[in-house]
Amino acid sequence: MLRIFLALIIFFSSISAHPVIFKNGKVFWITQNPNFNDIRFGISKTSDWLIGGRILEDRKSNETFALINNNFLAKRWNKSNSQANLYLLSSVGLNTDNSKGMSTLGIHADWENRQFMVMEMVEYFSHSSALVSNTRFAYSPYKVDYSRMSTWLIAQYRIEYKDEEYSYMFIPVVRFFKGNYLFELGSNGDDTFASFMTHF
Amino acid sequence: MKKYLLFLLFISFGFSQSKVTIQDKEVNISENEAIVEVLGMVCSMCAFGIGEGFSKTDFIDKTKFKDGVSVDIDAQYVQLGLLESSNVNPEKIVQVIEDAGYDVNSLFILQNNKLIKFSADKLGILQPMAYKDTSNDNHFQMN
Repeated sequence: MLRIFLALIIFFSSISAHPVIFKNGKVFWITQNPNFNDIRFGISKTSDWLIGGRILEDRKSNETFALINNNFLAKRWNKSNSQANLYLLSSVGLNTDNSKGMSTLGIHADWENRQFMVMEMVEYFSHSSALVSNTRFAYSPYKVDYSRMSTWLIAQYRIEYKDEEYSYMFIPVVRFFKGNYLFELGSNGDDTFASFMTHF
Repeated sequence: MKKYLLFLLFISFGFSQSKVTIQDKEVNISENEAIVEVLGMVCSMCAFGIGEGFSKTDFIDKTKFKDGVSVDIDAQYVQLGLLESSNVNPEKIVQVIEDAGYDVNSLFILQNNKLIKFSADKLGILQPMAYKDTSNDNHFQMN
């Protein structure tokens, strides 16, 4: 029963900013973090379901995976000047070298208004049996209308549980977005983070 | 005298305008326009999705605003230019907002000198709530 439940979640679910966008909207997304290089393309078939392709490279093990990813918006709370979301995330596919199966499974929750944002995402990676938690607290020092560039200062805290050991990482990130383009850069001296996303 | 008559003619037939209040902000609405108060619209990417949605409809006057749509994130509303002959169905406007992932709190449509306010009832269904004849400034409460 548990396997069926997990399989269903995998089928109906990925990772980070807004994992599902407007109906028939397309998203291109590229991310580099200390663990992964991640390239995605997806289309929101509805306002609560996005399906797409993903190339994921594990920078530590040098493995590359070709994946289909599903993001499902389980619940959205639209309020005056704020929004909260709960997403189910998954990817399923193959290792490009040996065709061995690989999947990811995750849950993402966020709340934001025009100046503050809180996000928590937990994701499981089957190829490394790693459970990864990413927590973000973000603040925008000024409000802008949608024709001008918005800036966010983000504190990102990452915890990874793998091989019965925990590892921790803190990265300050700065996010810029204008119109349908989003760009993020982060560094803690040892590790760097970069991300670019566009909707069209 | 001629100028005076022309002015009277202008305000009688050619010009219909009113004001609506969205989040304590007074917004001008003109003939063949709609104003939608949107819940959850907190970022520019939200606004982009809404603009994309309306660009694919057949009732938007793309000569008004930017391709027929103006977004005010501060006051959380979207202003639409409507084609004169469209007699737009409010449900179509709500559908575009919901397909973008947001909810409508209230909707104002000014066409044929009639300003109608729609609001969601307890079941979340949009209902006409108030009516104003902009040609003589008469107000009617509908619900």
